Amino acid sequence: MKKLKVAILGSGNIGTDLLIKIQRSEFLECVLFIGRNLSSPGMAKAIAMGVKVSDESINAIVKNSDQVDLVFDATSAKDAKIHWDILDKLGKIVVDMTPAKLGVFCIPAVNLDEVIEHRNVNMITCGGQASIPIAHVIGKTQKNVEYIEVVSSIASRSAGPATRLNLDEYVDTTENGIKHFSNVKRTKAILNLNPADPCIDMQTTIFAQVENPNMEYLQEEIDIMIKKIQEYVPGYSLLVPPVFENGRIVIMVKAQGLGDYLPKYAGNLDIINCAAIAVAEQYSKSFNNSK
Amino acid sequence: MSLAKNKIVFEDCKTSCVDIDSFSILENQSILITGGTGFIGKWLTEMISYINFTNNINITVYLLGRDIAKFKEEVPHLAEKTFVKFIEQDVRYLHDLPNDINYIIHAAGSPDNREHVSDPLKTIETFYKGTQSLLDVASRIQGLKKIIHLSSHQVYGKNENEEQITENSFGPFEALNVNNCYAESKRIAETLCSYYKNNLRLPIVILRPFAFIGPYQNLEKPWAINSFIRDAILGGPIRILGNGLTERSYLYASDMAYYILRSLILANIGDIYNLGSNVPISLNELALKIKSQSTVKMEVLSRSSKENYLSISKLVPNTNKITKDLNVSETFTIDEAINRTILWNQLNKKINN
Amino acid sequence: MIKQILISDPTLRDGNHACAHQLSAEQIAIYCNAADNAGVPIIEVGHGNGLGASSLQVGLSKEDDKTILETARKHLNKSKLGIHVIPGFATIKRDLVNAIDIGVDVIRVASHCTEADITQRHLGYVRERGKEAYGVLMMSHMASASVLVEEAQKMELYGAEGIIIMDSAGAYLPSDVQEKISALVNGLKVPVGFHAHNNLGMAIANSITAIEAGAKILDGTARGFGAGAGNAQLEVLIAVLEKMGYITGVDLYKILDASDIAEKKIMSTVPTIKSDSIVSGLSGVFSGFAKHVTRISNEYEVDPRDVYRELGKRRIVGGQEDIIIEVVMDLIRNRK
Repeated sequence: MKKLKVAILGSGNIGTDLLIKIQRSEFLECVLFIGRNLSSPGMAKAIAMGVKVSDESINAIVKNSDQVDLVFDATSAKDAKIHWDILDKLGKIVVDMTPAKLGVFCIPAVNLDEVIEHRNVNMITCGGQASIPIAHVIGKTQKNVEYIEVVSSIASRSAGPATRLNLDEYVDTTENGIKHFSNVKRTKAILNLNPADPCIDMQTTIFAQVENPNMEYLQEEIDIMIKKIQEYVPGYSLLVPPVFENGRIVIMVKAQGLGDYLPKYAGNLDIINCAAIAVAEQYSKSFNNSK
Repeated sequence: MSLAKNKIVFEDCKTSCVDIDSFSILENQSILITGGTGFIGKWLTEMISYINFTNNINITVYLLGRDIAKFKEEVPHLAEKTFVKFIEQDVRYLHDLPNDINYIIHAAGSPDNREHVSDPLKTIETFYKGTQSLLDVASRIQGLKKIIHLSSHQVYGKNENEEQITENSFGPFEALNVNNCYAESKRIAETLCSYYKNNLRLPIVILRPFAFIGPYQNLEKPWAINSFIRDAILGGPIRILGNGLTERSYLYASDMAYYILRSLILANIGDIYNLGSNVPISLNELALKIKSQSTVKMEVLSRSSKENYLSISKLVPNTNKITKDLNVSETFTIDEAINRTILWNQLNKKINN
Repeated sequence: MIKQILISDPTLRDGNHACAHQLSAEQIAIYCNAADNAGVPIIEVGHGNGLGASSLQVGLSKEDDKTILETARKHLNKSKLGIHVIPGFATIKRDLVNAIDIGVDVIRVASHCTEADITQRHLGYVRERGKEAYGVLMMSHMASASVLVEEAQKMELYGAEGIIIMDSAGAYLPSDVQEKISALVNGLKVPVGFHAHNNLGMAIANSITAIEAGAKILDGTARGFGAGAGNAQLEVLIAVLEKMGYITGVDLYKILDASDIAEKKIMSTVPTIKSDSIVSGLSGVFSGFAKHVTRISNEYEVDPRDVYRELGKRRIVGGQEDIIIEVVMDLIRNRK
């Protein structure tokens, strides 16, 4: 088994947490950890772990192009666009952690095999990674789904300044993701920040308006889906199994983080990173198989 | 073997630690002390050692400092304690901490103004970058309950008319003076605390220390009381430099340690407290007191640029808030403080010789 | 000194909580006419949780935002048309653009009391469009006075022309209001307002305490029509303010008439302080939860008071209605 060589662009919380997760992977090797400032906490962590680092941003990949197969872009939507122009020409695969929406939407539990046909994969949103697989199951098992709504509550402390400023983009991207994976036309996403101390775990509720729901079929498929997600997000669990209440299907899930770089309550950051790792590993497996 | 000077410290902790049972909250908890090998760090470790020993509550202390070897040499009786763990690191470059830490006391950085004028950039970096690095790592520790940030009375600027400085009395700042590097970087550190408290919900409390006296405080430090005691131990004369009517106040070290630990369990998150004594004493009186406690006869000399000063510099905190909220009061008078400090230093000197 | 108080009337917004968001276009038209005629300065309309909040989570509106706003616009002449906007529910592109296009005058951008930084974009957009922008801190009993001041100052910097704190759980006693409003008046340049709920029977007393502590904006609804135990009863508020010598610009007789019309035409039940509401207030639970707690508790046969207690203990905030189901499931599990 040859490990896929990956680089991480962006040395913030997401990038650093990815780095720690990659160290555990049998399929991935982080050859380059890239930021703009060698003294940032993420950089210091990478150096302490003995990973090769650079403060030259995208140029670090241009210079070391032959050593990198896949790039996690954990910068910002604006920078991700500039990076993709360059990385596309270099023929790299990009797993895009930003809301830039340049590539194909990915929920590993649903379309892993399909996305690795592409070279730019978008991880949607943290709330999307938690709710969309469930929405997909609802779309698949129920006839005439009129409307799906997902509500996520996350700990205030896990929402950084960028998340707070860009709630609208979060809502918009998550709604589009649900439409894409459930084939339901009317969707709504809601996000709550809860400042309770100790911090709450990320919790997501999926509602659906369905006439004559098939609860038995739904329950079976949900159980399968939960197991599938748990393969790459160990802290994901079903909190309230499907119930039909007040004319709506209600399902609640919870995502607890692994506590790698960020505390366990930051399940929202953990789940999108776990999903991104699953995508990169799938590329690695497929390369090894084709060889 | 318990040395006589260590016994002084132990006895003082016992005297100051009026309500030892209140610390049962800290049972099996871990406390990180940055600047852990300095004066404040040593005293906090002494106090925790006393509490652990007396009530058997198993508090773990992580001491973070740059020179652990020196600490081990200076206070072997503390260094050998099993509840003490060391992290040898410069707080400016901190990027990781044990994640079982429940409390942080941020005491890193020297208040010695000779260092500030000689290396202002390092001073600024220590308080700005050091505080930011620490709070950044702290924001990733799940079980963190409180952070005590030790600021400085210097954030108040120049005090011109207040008999006692309250937590809200700010005076003017001179611009373009390199001496400001300490005060200004302490101010930016406080602003960083507001950011981390407000945006990342870190449970931060700010203490603003005034002057302390007691064992472990280096007599070479450039402050009046230290110089007077050193002069006295050397047999005099005691030299007052500048205006002898200048007013200061001194909190004894074991009281200081008790106040800080009380703030850990009782201070309101987001609040700011003066940490010091509110009993003023002029330098003239101070010199005379120190003189009277010496066994040998000595002179008190005054050296100053002017005959009459237009205003008298006063640096005395109003301590109403801390005494009320933490229910603390001084257990050592200035006379006792001087007495204990001289005694300890004499014993310490004998051993060193 | 002129003692002028700005009155904002969310009967047709907070009241929607009291009827599961079922106010009809016709009812909106009737009350808008009556309140406009009485000289109420601002009439706030919409789903209980504001613009874009019609949802399975909180409750689906009978009428969509467009219908509500167009109806109100048509029936208001002197009064300004106001809305409540919570980022996370309403987005600028999907909701706010249209609302302002329809002709809303006053936009109150709200967040949980510790999360003011999510309002930056929305407040900025309202100011860009030249409309009146206010900041609202909801569930304000959950934060200390100093935190409220910090959060309110952010909103002020984002462009809010006034800051309203809401006692969304009806949890305040007058001394709490006194402490928080005076801290805000002290710490802000812009006017401060107060929005009461009546769970502990304090809505009018708290409103009066607020203005005595320096608040200049008060919310009140006809008959107190609003979430949970209801709001400060507008017609009582107007009468008391008049007796105390404050000027509101609202005609007392006409607002009494308007509230009579409201009781007859738009309320299936007039709000009272029900036993459950008292426990809700004591537990500090968002008043908008009341209908949901009652329904789900009945359905699964648990004591709603236990549900409120548990919600309070978990420090659940407005918008987290889904947790009610989880709490009920938990109570059932623990009972077994």
